[in-house]
Amino acid sequence: MDVNQYLEIFLDETKEHLENLNAQILILEQEPENADTINEIFRAAHSLKGMAGTMGYKRMQALTHDMENVFSEIRNGTMKVKSNLIDTLFQCLDALEEYTSNIQETADEGTNDNQQLIDQLNQFLKAGGAVEEKKPVEAPKEAAEDVSIEKWKDIKLGESERVVLSAAKTQGKNVYGLTVVVQESCLLKAARAFLVYKAVEEKAEIIVCNPPAQDIEDERFDLDFSLLVVSDCSLEEILQVTRNVSEIDKVAGAVYEFEAVPEGEKNVEQQSSAKTAVATQPQSAAPKANDKKTGGKPVANRTVRVDIEKLDVLMNLVSELIIAKNSLVSASSSEGGSGTGFKEQIEYLESVTTNLHESVMKVRMVPIESVVSKFPRMIRDLSKKLDKKMELYMSGEETELDRTVVDEIGDPLMHLLRNAADHGLESSEVRLQRGKPEVGSIFLDAYQDGNNVVIEVRDDGNGIDVEAVKNKAIERGVITPEQGDNMSEKDIINLLFHAGFSTAKQISDVSGRGVGLDVVKAKIESLSGEVEVKSQLGEGSTWIVRLPLTLAIIQALMVIVGGEKYAISLGGIQTIEDISPSEIKLVQNREVIHLRGSVIPLIRLSKELDIESCKSPEDNLVVVIVKKGEKLAGLVIDELMGQQEIVIKSLGKYISKCKIISGATILGDGEVALILDANALI
Amino acid sequence: MDELKVSGINISELKAEYDAVQYIVIKLGNEQYGIDIKFVDNIVRMQHITRVPKVADYLKGVINLRGEVIPVMSLRIKMELPADEYTKATRIIILKLEQHGTIGVIVDEVKEVVALDEEEIEKVSYDGKDDRTNFVSAVGKHEGELISLLDLNAVAMENK
Repeated sequence: MDVNQYLEIFLDETKEHLENLNAQILILEQEPENADTINEIFRAAHSLKGMAGTMGYKRMQALTHDMENVFSEIRNGTMKVKSNLIDTLFQCLDALEEYTSNIQETADEGTNDNQQLIDQLNQFLKAGGAVEEKKPVEAPKEAAEDVSIEKWKDIKLGESERVVLSAAKTQGKNVYGLTVVVQESCLLKAARAFLVYKAVEEKAEIIVCNPPAQDIEDERFDLDFSLLVVSDCSLEEILQVTRNVSEIDKVAGAVYEFEAVPEGEKNVEQQSSAKTAVATQPQSAAPKANDKKTGGKPVANRTVRVDIEKLDVLMNLVSELIIAKNSLVSASSSEGGSGTGFKEQIEYLESVTTNLHESVMKVRMVPIESVVSKFPRMIRDLSKKLDKKMELYMSGEETELDRTVVDEIGDPLMHLLRNAADHGLESSEVRLQRGKPEVGSIFLDAYQDGNNVVIEVRDDGNGIDVEAVKNKAIERGVITPEQGDNMSEKDIINLLFHAGFSTAKQISDVSGRGVGLDVVKAKIESLSGEVEVKSQLGEGSTWIVRLPLTLAIIQALMVIVGGEKYAISLGGIQTIEDISPSEIKLVQNREVIHLRGSVIPLIRLSKELDIESCKSPEDNLVVVIVKKGEKLAGLVIDELMGQQEIVIKSLGKYISKCKIISGATILGDGEVALILDANALI
Repeated sequence: MDELKVSGINISELKAEYDAVQYIVIKLGNEQYGIDIKFVDNIVRMQHITRVPKVADYLKGVINLRGEVIPVMSLRIKMELPADEYTKATRIIILKLEQHGTIGVIVDEVKEVVALDEEEIEKVSYDGKDDRTNFVSAVGKHEGELISLLDLNAVAMENK
């Protein structure tokens, strides 16, 4: 079987399962008896094993198989969850992640057998499962028959299959699970199985086959195989055709309840009770469907995976549409708006494009959960490694960001968290001395703030020692002692983002390699975001990361400077002021204005852009007040054009040197206008 | 943004006839230069160029080419010739280069497409003193005229 076409799905699903396992095992550590969690873990591990097996990744399969055994023991209650077991399980997950990334890069799982981990798992099994081993021996016959005959109940559904089955059910078709056991004496198992398969296929549509059809054909199964089918026929009809095939030992079947708990209430016996199952099916199906909705587990989001490239194409089309709309708008205004009908149509087009833009953007938005969900695990590991007690509290995981941003934001956040754990939090003894709770707290809060998403990493640790930072900076030659004396506290804290700066007295493998915060800052800025720190010595520090919601289309203020048109992102603009030249004061030879109690430095854009202003010096100035973090600045422009939705186009790498220009956009008349990066100006 | 058919020559026919390299011949002042046709994406008329501040002087700015923003450079300034005077014949040749991406180059005039055989091309020896020859990789002879063949990667390279 050619599995390459499934590789992407395999990788996606594996990652989901691994994330899920990570999260669930963390819960398991806190609540070792939580049956829901254990079931969830077992299911995820089982799916992983199945998927790895199908794709032919033997090592991955072997490891997950042993993990599954352990989980199964835990589920049966014959094994207790201990801390060292959890450690081993986490190591297993790491190993699985390694396999996955190998597969992603080379389509091969690599050669690491992780034999040591498997051995450890088996030891746990021996130690914990000693009691268990007798069980199957005591009641071998009934157990074997009753359990094995209904193997279709154990089939794990993939996302797509679930969708198909749900669809079939809503169309009023019957969904059956079947398990067929071939006689032990049968010589050509594969052929018999194939005949059954064919016979069923005539009556029903086979959705899932376990083991896969290819394996059955190659005789890679024991004596039984299971099918999930969708059919208009009654169960009995289907069972009958399978029984007509000779050398078949037993056939069991019933209405298949997906999402249902494994130990379903009805204990469907084989053939005889199959009839009652058919009879009761219409009644039983309805209440079950209700169960599904009200049940404790949230039903997985119904999603469609879309290639990001296809989305980009869609996005580009929307961009074109907006440009076309803008040209219509400018055409209508230049012609003096002949006829109100025309204008109405344009307004209609405008609302349509805006809505379309919003929904396409929403498609690209993903919750940051996918990134932050690995952090609790990381903090747990750090806690052990650093021998500090700490807890991570997260909120706002559902906050959504553009897919491209979410993919990139993981590393910077991880770094900030490590920083908080390593440098921020004090050791337990110091914390107790200072009267703080022994367990340190790290908070990760995400929320939307206007056009931005803010992610805060906060700790209740020591805070930043400004003096220590200053001394370090002087020692490292980053600043001179004179400079240090003149710097504000804030400026000194900002030195932390300087390349090659690390205040960790000891270099640990957690943080303190001197490459870090500057990289964090660069990364966030490359995403058009910004990062700032607030700190209170002795009480902790807060790192605030601010990211734009979208990267492609923004609301902008169009301005004219020296006859040229420029766009300024509306996000940073506070107000627009009309200032008379007499209000301008000079402070340290820089022009400032006094506005509602704050002193705001003026930046003459004509000067920054190397162009002559068209206005005479006596005229009143138009000043756009922009905000970057806590800082304000006034940009002096010649004229205002108005607000417009603009599509950001890259200037390309060929013109990348100009820092104050963050991109370009195409105006309604086809002209190119540059986008000013107000942040770079301040 | 009219696209021009260059002198009405059927390019595919030419390709079939010779196993030769085709060049677009452009004029810059009194000299003729050849640009390898495989790098040429498009030729457009002169249009409004949006100036970009704080960049090298030969970079004249950016233009809108069917929804894409493309940087445009002046070949004249790059080669230290007198600055461009835009006339009706002035064209922007849009080049697609592997290393530098898409770039527009302003030229005085586009004359024709020629196909040059190997024996019609003579490599020039590198002369470090003259800046202008740095951009010329070879000289082609065509109907008694000389065409300096441009090394486009050198042209697009940033000035030190």
